[in-house]
Amino acid sequence: MMKSKQIKIALRNCGHIDPERIEDYISCDGYAALGKCIFGDSPASVIDKIKLSGLRGRGGGGFPTGKKWELCAASVSDKKYVICNADEGDPGAFMDRSVLEGDPHSVLEAMAICGYCIGADEGYIYIRAEYPLAIKRLKIAITQAEEAGLLGDRIMGSDLSFKIRLKYGAGAFVCGEETALIRSMEGNRGEPVMKPPYPAQKGYMGKPTNVNNVETFANVAAILNRGAEWFSSIGTEGSKGTKVFALAGKVKNVGLVEVPMGTTLRELIYDIGGGIKSGKQFKAVQSGGPSGGCLTVKHLDTPIDYESLKAAGSMMGSGGMIVMDEDDCMVAVAKFYLDFTVEESCGKCVPCREGNKVLYQILNKITHGNGEMSDLDKLKNFGNIIKSTSLCGLGQTAPNPVLSTLDNFYNEYYDHVVNKKCAAKQCRALIEYRIIEENCVGCGACKRVCPAEAISGELKQKHLIDQETCIKCGACIKKCRFNAIVAE
Amino acid sequence: MILNGKEKMERTKNYEEFKHLSSNLKKEKEALSSKVVVKIAMATCSIASGAGPVFALFKEKMSKLPKESVIVQTGCLGLCHSEPTVEVTLPGCEPVVFGKVDVKRAEMIIDGYIMKGEKFDFIIEGNQ
Repeated sequence: MMKSKQIKIALRNCGHIDPERIEDYISCDGYAALGKCIFGDSPASVIDKIKLSGLRGRGGGGFPTGKKWELCAASVSDKKYVICNADEGDPGAFMDRSVLEGDPHSVLEAMAICGYCIGADEGYIYIRAEYPLAIKRLKIAITQAEEAGLLGDRIMGSDLSFKIRLKYGAGAFVCGEETALIRSMEGNRGEPVMKPPYPAQKGYMGKPTNVNNVETFANVAAILNRGAEWFSSIGTEGSKGTKVFALAGKVKNVGLVEVPMGTTLRELIYDIGGGIKSGKQFKAVQSGGPSGGCLTVKHLDTPIDYESLKAAGSMMGSGGMIVMDEDDCMVAVAKFYLDFTVEESCGKCVPCREGNKVLYQILNKITHGNGEMSDLDKLKNFGNIIKSTSLCGLGQTAPNPVLSTLDNFYNEYYDHVVNKKCAAKQCRALIEYRIIEENCVGCGACKRVCPAEAISGELKQKHLIDQETCIKCGACIKKCRFNAIVAE
Repeated sequence: MILNGKEKMERTKNYEEFKHLSSNLKKEKEALSSKVVVKIAMATCSIASGAGPVFALFKEKMSKLPKESVIVQTGCLGLCHSEPTVEVTLPGCEPVVFGKVDVKRAEMIIDGYIMKGEKFDFIIEGNQ
């Protein structure tokens, strides 16, 4: 069952407490870590604990969280900021939304702890305006925490003050990149800027700023309550703790799961996910969203951690995990993700703005049956140039879905280009609907349902599909009760 | 419910007060074990698949039962394939999670499981 191989840390309270009642959170050790920090631990010692735990950024980058806090703490300034990045944008990913809807106080508490550590008295949550319920619950949580004296001025009567406000994102994917996020918060266009200077030196309003993802924050109080050693005993050598994944696609038990680092893809997909739907064959798993890659059967025993996934040609990403079966065309999948990044590119740098468009056009050409062998070399060549010359993470990773499918599913590209065939029968231009004469009884059902009037034939006579007129909608195949129509 | 009747929580003025509050709330949580606790997932995904009417039904019906009970709205358990989900904990029993709960199933849970301990095939976790 779903529970067996999971360990819930970031999701420890999700589904167990009422997110709209601070009392529920406090009764689960809520705000205890914050109290312990303020009244018995120096900022440097708390940072050491986070470093010792081995917690790394859960938004995808994997930068050590303790190190990030330390850098920001070391910056000298009269004003500093803590930002929670809740601009979750990967298609099919909803880890952050679930945490914010199910346990908003865990994020607020961690932000206050971070403020204590780096010397900030103000925090912002940059959240997508498309998450109305999460916003509502965050607002309730902030109000309750302020009333209870656990946020705001003089927390628990101490000298520490920390206020949290919300900023709404308009749903631009690039704003998940920290420098673009900060620009957007300042009221400018959401465009990334060159690093360095890093936000830890010069961030929001030019002041030192620490940006962490929702899930990263959700781990903090648990680490401080249960100890860094406990946290670092979970996971692998380089990746400690757990990771939340939104398991989606052709898997039986779609859902939100949290597994220890080092769990294999096979365990995640088969033991927790229950395997592939309707007895089909597993083909690929896509992790890391539009920045990640597709892994195949030979990668199923890859342990899930930052380094192993990267070595296999994908990445951890923020936690999207889409499972595909034999009916998915990998060229079309690569095209889907590229379509997304082309749409979401901010347009500031040329490689990302123009390069990805060219990649998309080549993929489009291939899926329409006009591909040439030289196109495959171009994809690889251009893809690598875009990766090495783009300004921010969006461009630097956008070609990954193309490059990884080229590596792992070269035969499929070859089939599209040379044989003009799509084995998964997803690329319309490459398939042909044909009537098998032996099976056709001439009932005329297909003819009646065809919207293009492409099927001819008298009643009780063999029917025929005119390939010129056929729009390949597949309506006839669904209608035929005699298995007399095939797609090839 | 915990802290019943109090609209606002009092401001904690020092660390001692917070620790006191925390231990009080923990005790109140432990006291729930003598009651029937019904947790209904009410995240975006759950509400989209119909948790709203289920929540309303539990609220309405449970108050009329002879058993003491608490209805809690929670975030999601991550069981998207079975939303809406309802977790019921009877006094002295392990929690049981019911899947794909609509109004009809909710009534079955109340009349069957909560009142008589009957099991159903839509139990997806715990004590099947």
